[in-house]
Amino acid sequence: MKFAIFSFAHMHAYSYAQALQHIHDAQLTVVADSHEERGEAAARKFGATYYKDYQDALQYGDFDAVIVCSENVHHAEMVVAAAEAHKHILCEKPLATTIADANAMITACEKNDVKLQTAFPIRFSTPLQYVKKQIDSGSLGRILALTGTNRGQNPGGWFNDMQLSGGGAVLDHTVHVIDIMRWYIGSEIAEVYAEVDRRFSDSPVDDCGLLVMEFCNGVIASHDPSWSRPKTFPTWGDVTLRVTGTDGITLVNAFGQHYTQYDDELNMVRQVPWGDNPDLEMINGFIACITNNSSPLASGTDGMRAMEVALAAYESARIRRPVSLPLS
Amino acid sequence: MKGDVINVKVVVIGAGTMGSVHAEAYASMPGVELRGIVDPRLDVAQSLAEKLGSFSYSTLDSLLMAEDPDVVDVCVPTPFHKEYIVRAAKAGKHIISEKPLDRNLSDAEDSIRVCKEHNVRLFVGQVVRFFPEYRSIRQQIVQGKLGQVGTARTFRGGSFPSGSNDWYANSKLSGTIIVDLLIHDIDFLRWCFGDVERVYAKNLVAERNRLDHAYVSLKFQNGVIAHLEGTWSAPSGFSTAIEVAGDKGLITHNSDGSVPIHSAIRQQRSGVAAVEVPSSPMIHNPYFIELEHFIHCIRTGDVADVEPEDALAALKISLAAVRSAQSGEVVTLSQARGEK
Ligand SMILES: NC(=O)c1ccc[n+]([C@@H]2O[C@H](COP(=O)([O-])OP(=O)(O)OC[C@H]3O[C@@H](n4cnc5c(N)ncnc54)[C@H](O)[C@@H]3O)[C@@H](O)[C@H]2O)c1
Repeated sequence: MKFAIFSFAHMHAYSYAQALQHIHDAQLTVVADSHEERGEAAARKFGATYYKDYQDALQYGDFDAVIVCSENVHHAEMVVAAAEAHKHILCEKPLATTIADANAMITACEKNDVKLQTAFPIRFSTPLQYVKKQIDSGSLGRILALTGTNRGQNPGGWFNDMQLSGGGAVLDHTVHVIDIMRWYIGSEIAEVYAEVDRRFSDSPVDDCGLLVMEFCNGVIASHDPSWSRPKTFPTWGDVTLRVTGTDGITLVNAFGQHYTQYDDELNMVRQVPWGDNPDLEMINGFIACITNNSSPLASGTDGMRAMEVALAAYESARIRRPVSLPLS
Repeated sequence: MKGDVINVKVVVIGAGTMGSVHAEAYASMPGVELRGIVDPRLDVAQSLAEKLGSFSYSTLDSLLMAEDPDVVDVCVPTPFHKEYIVRAAKAGKHIISEKPLDRNLSDAEDSIRVCKEHNVRLFVGQVVRFFPEYRSIRQQIVQGKLGQVGTARTFRGGSFPSGSNDWYANSKLSGTIIVDLLIHDIDFLRWCFGDVERVYAKNLVAERNRLDHAYVSLKFQNGVIAHLEGTWSAPSGFSTAIEVAGDKGLITHNSDGSVPIHSAIRQQRSGVAAVEVPSSPMIHNPYFIELEHFIHCIRTGDVADVEPEDALAALKISLAAVRSAQSGEVVTLSQARGEK
């Protein structure tokens, strides 16, 4: 299967391109990036044809599927155009920055009968999938509460430009874990309360927040999406969940499979992961859903629902009251 | 110890979980005499007193008649705190009470007022302030080692607590997991960050089969956002965790992760698998350190690291969280004061 990557603005594009190199019957053939230097370098590195304009790539490029890794606000136009050109799409999270954009993307993909998968690699994390099975088997009993964290560091660059990102830490780091929570318990979030602030830098966007939620089925939950890890943190951040059930509690750390390296050369202590690569499994899953014509594990609608919770968190912080979902 | 210091005479009311911890601390504390233990369950009081070389009584009155203590230490279930505080204050005794001071503001305020009127000291066992790891973390915060703090997270919990007559299972008696358990972290965070501006909380309460679970969100006046989690629904164990993130650094602590000793002991002849037992020994446990500090304040008249007004303020925040969980609304603390 031939792949294009539209934009290397999001750093995940590099790890997706690397993952493609490990997949036997996948090939990165096209790179489109309006940032010429960046795009050309990536195309050279991964042996793909470079286009400056993604519209040209759609017209002349040779590929079946595209991974969209542009700045958040540009996801919508690229996904809609790719759908109309009958390409299958794996779109970086957050799916979009408005509900209207997300709906337009989902509709365009449905209309043109192409797959739309939201890039939620954590769904493909082996430890998190293990816990999904544990919950479904009933060994934790009825689920009472879910506590999530997805902390990191301010990624810098366009992530701090509201016009391109659509939001800061809360948008960037809420969606993965909310997606996991919805998937784990098969219920939608009914209500969100959030504190959102800027406490760690002079960034014009929010860099920390804390969400407290309730699901339609009565499960209570909380999530911490803050860019609160200091420069000396031994890894990029974390994804953790505490699942509390009537018969047991499970704590899962998506990157718990690591060893510790004390590196005098770099003058730092690092956690080096050795577990399965969720990016690779996510792309394998994407290819499988195209090949088997099945539904993606994390669909466009899943992407929209998770994004909606982040938008509701911003609204709650603004009005200082809990906000009900769905947003109208 | 200076040779001329007169021993402080202490009696303990309630010989349950906390009464035993307090009584054991006093029994080994220099300059302190454990003069008696009161419990309506006389056999329980008796066996504890025997173990510690003290005396047991079935009522406070009979004890006060026989002994002339300087301090009455109240370790009865929370609903009985006020009754004993008031009786001891009227008898002119200084009082050390387990937390929470009470389950509602008016009773808590009554206790404080009566102690003032009778000119006796009142100390409330907000013991987290005496845990060395929490104390050290606070030190780093107040010294600015973390820079400007942005977020703080705490966790506290384990299996459902067992008390006499299963009193924790009635949220009206315990005051809910927020007032009984999360008040520890609420008090500690207030000690670190000052007054709270607003509170939002979710709480699954005891009536749901001893599976209490709560989240509390606090926005402090200094801007810090705090998230507290408490549970009584774990199948076993007890643990606490705290994390404080600032623009110059991050502190994380997890009680499970800082245990120096892990032993696995084969169960002799039973054929049962070995159970892993973690231990974290200290020369003095935090309760001993706390009680020794209170005794010191009684001797010297020093201001304590936790005064009754602090315990009251922590209770106010806890009750605001309970109210938020019940109403589904955000509670701002000036509003909570106004409503009282
Ligand atoms: N600081 C902490 O870490 C901590 C931990 C647990 C409990 N506590 C607090 O300590 C207090 C006691 O809790 P516990 O777990 O020890 O309870 P418990 O039930 O184990 O012990 C209470 C004891 O008081 C006795 N008692 C009951 N009613 C009495 C009365 N009217 N007069 C005299 N004695 C009476 C009971 O017989 C029992 O022996 C509570 O306020 C609780 O919130 C604090």
